[in-house]
Amino acid sequence: MSTHAQAPAALPMTKAAAEKKYPARMPRHGNASVYRIVVIGLLALAVLAPVGLIIYQSFLSAAFFSPRAKFGLDAYRYVFTDKNFYKALGTTAVFSFGMVAIAVPLGGLLAFLITRTDIKGKRLLEILVLVPMFISSIVLAFGYTVSVGPTGFLSLFIRGLIGFVPWNIYSLAGMILIAGLSHVPHVYLYVSSSMRNLPSDLEEAARTTGASIWQVSRDVTLPMVLPSLIFAASLNILLGFETFGIPLVLGDPNGIMVLTTYIYKLTTLFGTPTYQLMAVVAVVLILITLPLVWAQRKLLRNARKYVAMGGKGARVSTLKLGRSGQIIALGIIGLWLFVSVVLPIGGITVRAFVDAWGEGVNLFDQLTFANFDHLLDVPSLVRGIVNTVILSVVGGAVAVGIYLMVGLAGHRNWGASNTLLDYIVLLPRALPGLVIGLAFFWVFLFVPLLTPLRPTLVSIFVAYVVVGLSYGLRLLQSTLLQVAPELEESARTTGATIGRTWKDVVIPIVRPGLAGAWALIMIIFLREYATGVYLMGAGTEVIGSLMVSLLQTGAMNTIAALSLISVVLTGAGLALALRLGAKIHD
Amino acid sequence: MTELVVNNVQKWLGGLQILKGASFTAERGSIVALLGASGSGKTTLLRCIAGLEQPEIGTIVIGGKTVLDGDKKLALPPEQRNIGLVFQSYALWPHRTVKENVGYGLKLRNVAAADIGKRVQAILDRMGLGHLADRYPSQLSGGQQQRVAICRALVYEPRVLLLDEPLSNLDAKLREEARYWIRKLILDLQICAILVTHDQGEALAAADNILLLQDGRIVQQGGPQEIYSNPNSFYSADFLGANNIVSGKVQTVDGKSAVIGGDGWSLNGTVREAAGVGQSQDARAVIRVEQIKVSDTPATDGIEMQLDDSVYLGDRWEYRLSRGDFTAKAHGTKQMAAGKVWAQIPQESIWVFSGAQK
Repeated sequence: MSTHAQAPAALPMTKAAAEKKYPARMPRHGNASVYRIVVIGLLALAVLAPVGLIIYQSFLSAAFFSPRAKFGLDAYRYVFTDKNFYKALGTTAVFSFGMVAIAVPLGGLLAFLITRTDIKGKRLLEILVLVPMFISSIVLAFGYTVSVGPTGFLSLFIRGLIGFVPWNIYSLAGMILIAGLSHVPHVYLYVSSSMRNLPSDLEEAARTTGASIWQVSRDVTLPMVLPSLIFAASLNILLGFETFGIPLVLGDPNGIMVLTTYIYKLTTLFGTPTYQLMAVVAVVLILITLPLVWAQRKLLRNARKYVAMGGKGARVSTLKLGRSGQIIALGIIGLWLFVSVVLPIGGITVRAFVDAWGEGVNLFDQLTFANFDHLLDVPSLVRGIVNTVILSVVGGAVAVGIYLMVGLAGHRNWGASNTLLDYIVLLPRALPGLVIGLAFFWVFLFVPLLTPLRPTLVSIFVAYVVVGLSYGLRLLQSTLLQVAPELEESARTTGATIGRTWKDVVIPIVRPGLAGAWALIMIIFLREYATGVYLMGAGTEVIGSLMVSLLQTGAMNTIAALSLISVVLTGAGLALALRLGAKIHD
Repeated sequence: MTELVVNNVQKWLGGLQILKGASFTAERGSIVALLGASGSGKTTLLRCIAGLEQPEIGTIVIGGKTVLDGDKKLALPPEQRNIGLVFQSYALWPHRTVKENVGYGLKLRNVAAADIGKRVQAILDRMGLGHLADRYPSQLSGGQQQRVAICRALVYEPRVLLLDEPLSNLDAKLREEARYWIRKLILDLQICAILVTHDQGEALAAADNILLLQDGRIVQQGGPQEIYSNPNSFYSADFLGANNIVSGKVQTVDGKSAVIGGDGWSLNGTVREAAGVGQSQDARAVIRVEQIKVSDTPATDGIEMQLDDSVYLGDRWEYRLSRGDFTAKAHGTKQMAAGKVWAQIPQESIWVFSGAQK
């Protein structure tokens, strides 16, 4: 039976192998390489083109379509000598770090209370804690304005009691506090998942050697979750640099500017759009955020290493809080929920149904549907609502389809194209929605073939797909990875091509995950407000961006009604996501 | 008829070479077992045959069709190799019924629907699974899942059936039954089958040919009896069977026979090292446990040893023997008192290899 009893292995190793350490790889036939390269290439184009255009524009002396535009550093010179720019830069840094200083400890504490103790109502709290994350920050910011702003409902009530309002949210401190509180879920999400994976035998081992509960928390639990805390901190710094809604609503009235609002203000500063200046600030922003994204990627890898060590499925025993402990813990969470959810959303709800308020006005006498009636009278507002729903429901579904195609292109893929994909996905995370929207606005102006699409929802949709890319692709990739490799390999050995395998095995198995992903992407698209600011035109209004432009006119009644609609839609989306079993904790 | 030719397959992973030139052939109606410890490269070799891994060097011919040629940079994807693979985890598609799982290969081959139904039912009936056709995999027991996986890999009559540790997820009793009927099925259907296993009992009982792999190389191949009773290296001798390993020095050598000895003992053995052994060199002797006969009455051809203990194993007794630094295990039918005993070991069963024990 054997032709070569023990073939001399050295024989073919002579020439080629002697020169190199090991011979060249075999080509992978039937691995859908063409599909992978085309999809990843198109994605690269969709992400790199707008970024490239921003960089190009930043080196011009006028708008790129203007015949007067010349290459040069004029725009950089202007921005770097503008003291408002440095002020905005400084404010952004203070804002981001301040936000982290509030969000990280509080998020860590909440994660500890909810995952490691026997706190009551855990299931409900787990969902409630995430709510601020799903609401657009412009809605939240507006909510704070009407509840605790200078003439907010709560402010008036307090003034009625003690004669003055002991806070001012239209200040840097107010902005930081509100942004910090509303970013707690982002911290909670990462820290709680690492705490959940922390096996309690590590803590029990410490306790049996005689450490008290608080010593264990400090000496064992904290170091174990430290990587995730650091990751959450870096994520929040990034979000701080990109935030737009809160500074626009709360900072702008007092002239407090961050980089994003500085970009936005440049539009109106000169009367005519100064694209080159906006591009320069966008480039600066990218230069700050890109290293942060890089660092985060590294951190995340390390954090995963930690978690993997703990092992999965470990039994987690919870800390008994006791009666007074329960009261304190629930009190902390309750207070936070009151400030970050009840105050803004309650404010919006009340404000949406009243027309006038002030000292000595009984709100019950003012109850009215007029705000909504008025809203229905204005075609652009109605279109905004319809467009938002179309973009999130239909667009969300199409986006999931696109992310699935990209996910498959990167699924069990090796080599250069996969490295490229990894880096392309990083890029949009470094870009604030405002900048992505601006860049796509330019792309649709710049590329002749695309110009007819600019006044349609397609342009906004494309920008949304890029904005949601990192999040959506991560959702899809983790879903795809749940398909055991043998299930695909067995289809291949049975005779299916890779395309058939995806169609007959992979996609049917991940279908439930796709539904969940759709609901989550829907929420992301619903709450988006910054991306549409520049892209939006007559006929393509969306709720969030309408609110941004209405803020300039001070149409508070309309904004309140729109905000409430946005909150209700988001709530419906969240309910759908939970119903579809979406993993909101991922 | 030769269905599979594997010639000098070499595979690297990163800078590490995990297959160092594996060559063998396999015939229709026979089972070839790839046997080896974990990390020996046996599963990688199987996956190379299936096309799930791409070796850098070598050729593989399945049913007369070249599916891999390192020189021509030809590597057909798995779906073009006409093979059937049974996975260790069975890898049944959870979203399809038993019928759909088994019929998929036929559907891909554009067999008419009515025909698919007939052939699927026929093979399920043959395996005693006919009544489970509409169940989902999660509703089946482990043994049933395994049989479905085999049906799925066989129904389209592949040229080569590859089995990757197919029995390792079954409990011990089921495993012995399964290896018997798998062998019977393959012989009945006249298929060419390659079985990957780390369990020597499985390889010995099921295979016609055993390839013993070590560190990416086939170190010995042959029929079950040949490979068990005629090992050509210390690794082969040690891997199969239950063994006593004795370390000592070669005292005298005379052609094929040698005397190995240590502190207060010496044994007449047979040299098995291919290169031979030299005088006063470090050496190891491998003695199969079943080759030692122990008696409590003096025997002229026996070596006097100390019985330290008798351990009851249910169907037999295990004796713990020692003499100086020579310790051994042996089996017998009765309990013996600790003390002086005589161990009889045939010279041809004391296999002497060079090298010190690690």
